[in-house]
Amino acid sequence: MKKKQLRWLLPLAALPILWLLAWGMGRDTYVLPSPMAGLEAPNFELITFEGDTVQLTDLDGRVVILNFWASWCIPCRQEHPVLVQTERTWDDSEVVLLGVVYQDSRANAERFMDQYGGDWTHVLDPSQRTAIDYGVYGVPETFFIGTDGTISLKKVGPVTWDLVRYQVDSLLAAPATTSSATGTGAAP
Amino acid sequence: MNRSAAWIIALLVTVVTGTAALMAQEGEPGTASAVPQEVEAPAGATDDRSALTDPEEQALDARAAEIASGLRCPVCRNQSIVESNADLSREMHAVVRDRLEAGETQEEIEAYFVSRYGEWILLQPQARGINLLVYGLPLLVLVLGFFLARNRLRKWARAGEDSVAADGPADLGAEDEQWLRDALRES
Repeated sequence: MKKKQLRWLLPLAALPILWLLAWGMGRDTYVLPSPMAGLEAPNFELITFEGDTVQLTDLDGRVVILNFWASWCIPCRQEHPVLVQTERTWDDSEVVLLGVVYQDSRANAERFMDQYGGDWTHVLDPSQRTAIDYGVYGVPETFFIGTDGTISLKKVGPVTWDLVRYQVDSLLAAPATTSSATGTGAAP
Repeated sequence: MNRSAAWIIALLVTVVTGTAALMAQEGEPGTASAVPQEVEAPAGATDDRSALTDPEEQALDARAAEIASGLRCPVCRNQSIVESNADLSREMHAVVRDRLEAGETQEEIEAYFVSRYGEWILLQPQARGINLLVYGLPLLVLVLGFFLARNRLRKWARAGEDSVAADGPADLGAEDEQWLRDALRES
């Protein structure tokens, strides 16, 4: 009688282990959920290439795409055309694309922009305090910040055009603003 | 082998494995806390000698290193920001020290990093919710193992006694028996 009970117990005990294995293998361990989405974006005060100071609070009322990047980062090259398209699609008064140069020099970043094109504002974060404040692991990482200053999404890795368009459209359509988002999301 | 011997052996095995597990757990923060002076020394060495010798500064450095040793380096694999040489880790270490100097407690500093990076940033998971499994399961397994070992040992002991009682020692071949007898005589 006792033996029979044990015969059931063994496979039963294996079940949670199998479940744990399946769960562990079914997910990408490099992707970590960010606690930042839904929270208020931390303010920062950073210097542009031109020497101007940019604060996040200066951009209130606009959708902000905060893109941490570096010239040495290969995936940043991959996502660059998407950012160029982003800059072309929306007006600065509606959507601000702001590049934060991460662990890189101004000269390198400028050379990169000359080579690959694009004309949006970049700021330097030499102490990396802003990167830490945003919980950045590496580059590229992109934060979508709504008109009310709330982070709606943190994207680790290169952004795609579909993602940017969807995010910006829904942020522009959010009730906080009156701006009409119709048509602005169409790819040129 | 009797019943009490089984208890003692099972208890011994449990204590040894338990102690080994505890020592392994404590080894990590212990190694990290030895680092602080080396890490912070170069920063103060250039301009301010007193910062190196000032006991208050040293205490702050040590405390910062202690907290930082519990924070995971975001760009490494399973290393604390004290052990890591990555730029980001050094800056995070500096953030810890700055916040400490500004009067924040360890809990507040850890909460800051958790709010930015998620609980993943803590090398030692917080003892609540599903995390309790991490702390409870080893103990449970240890206790279960103790009883399993005790029962097994008892069973073996009983089986040994039974076989002795039933057949005596005589289940040897004639040759072996002769050898045994010779050996006993000699000793």
